[in-house]
Amino acid sequence: MNIKMTPLLPESDAREAALFFVVAALCFLAVLATLVARGTYTAAEAWTAQVEGEMTVLVSDTDRRGAESAATLIEALPGVERAHVLTDEELDELLSPSFGPGGIPDGIPLPLLIAVDAEGDTTALAAEIDTTLAEAGINGRADTHSAYAAEVRKALGTLRIAAIGTVLLLTMTAISVIAFATHAALLARKDIVDVLHLAGAEDRFIARLFERRFWLLGLKAGAAGSVAALAVTAIIVFSAQSSNAPSELLPKLSLDQWDLMILAVSPIAGALAARIAARVTVGRSLRSSL
Amino acid sequence: MTQAGAPLASEPAVELNGVSLRYDTADDILTDIDIRLKPGTFTFLTGPSGAGKSSLLKLLYLAHAPTSGEVRLFGQRTADMSRNQLSALRRRIGVVFQDFRLLDHLTAFENVALPLRVSGEKPEDYRDEVVDLVRWVGLGERMHAFPPALSGGEQQRLAIARALINKPDILIADEPTGNVDPDMARRIFRLFIELNRRLNTTVIIATHDMHIIREFKAPVLKLQDGLLFADSSYEQA
Repeated sequence: MNIKMTPLLPESDAREAALFFVVAALCFLAVLATLVARGTYTAAEAWTAQVEGEMTVLVSDTDRRGAESAATLIEALPGVERAHVLTDEELDELLSPSFGPGGIPDGIPLPLLIAVDAEGDTTALAAEIDTTLAEAGINGRADTHSAYAAEVRKALGTLRIAAIGTVLLLTMTAISVIAFATHAALLARKDIVDVLHLAGAEDRFIARLFERRFWLLGLKAGAAGSVAALAVTAIIVFSAQSSNAPSELLPKLSLDQWDLMILAVSPIAGALAARIAARVTVGRSLRSSL
Repeated sequence: MTQAGAPLASEPAVELNGVSLRYDTADDILTDIDIRLKPGTFTFLTGPSGAGKSSLLKLLYLAHAPTSGEVRLFGQRTADMSRNQLSALRRRIGVVFQDFRLLDHLTAFENVALPLRVSGEKPEDYRDEVVDLVRWVGLGERMHAFPPALSGGEQQRLAIARALINKPDILIADEPTGNVDPDMARRIFRLFIELNRRLNTTVIIATHDMHIIREFKAPVLKLQDGLLFADSSYEQA
């Protein structure tokens, strides 16, 4: 006959319900921060590559036809994917931050600019473009946007560090809260721990009770937090997809297999942190007694 | 070969040599205590409130380590034992606490079964034994009741049943009859005597009850201001 025995640790009480909410909320924030950090990182990579793979060639002392010839020469160079002379509309758009939505006033001479999409080392290519144009008798100078790209890289680097720092801080906070809660739970259950201890239970036996309790709590709370994070991310992704002009500057939240893996692993990581915190706290507390 | 830790015939079950106990920076609770109790002895421990009876018992059931001196149980020096060895030793000691220390979320049956449960035994194997003992202490009808629903006397009997379920080599009881009527007190002491005689259990009982001490005529150790004396009315083992 199988006899069902009551668990030695009482069923969860109000303190553990509060702890469940705290762990779920921390897990939600940690997962969301991880997804945003990853999205930021992906966006930063793409954006930096885009900026670094572009250059502009300013041609002067010639007309549009001369600029077209220069673009053809540039496009023929190895490492150049595309080169085209910017149209007046493109120039308008490019200079609109300086002139406002009214466009460039009549009478202001517009420069002739060639946009170059390149791959590989743009610094060497810029020198090659300058030489090629000089040999063809065209007055032109290539600009690799290096100063601008450096600023962009610096800004994105700061963003990445902030995102990773946020994730680490939230993870450490979650672990600390769980460790603190385990210690509080142990103090609240000191009567039970003492009785078990004096009845001859080994430290491992007592620690396992708390480990199991906090492993399950961490797993359930982590899963709840992750599901909530998934829901919020899905809403953001669908909102961005349904929008006509998603901003290039926003993190690229895509919910690919890596993101789903983060969602799946987070509750396990949270539960593992809870279990380890429980083991360490209970072990330390028991070792202080005879 | 004897069971690990079992006393040789010549070895005392309980031996305290020059034991003192002090909590934090306060004065000594116990001072230079020497005790030798052979296996199978039955001893009363008495003395006024605050004399250190509970503290002495705590040393014996391994809740505290002495500040100085040594405690030996079954010939083994407890200070030299690993934590797991101490746990194994505790399983050979039954304790009836003055405040019972029952677990409120467990039923009467489960409280009595606790020492067997922490030893890793299966409920199927000890069910009948626990039921018999709970019935013997007069709580057959309250088998599935929780401690808060029991009276003080019922809780005390439950605590006694829990201390006895393991058939301990040493039984330590701190005022075990404080909340029961005289009839039940005598029944409980007869059980202690029976355990002592049939299983050769070493029994140490702290009590104020002079009627019981006179009726059961066992050696008496008296604690006074942290010092231990043998009561001259009885022969110390």
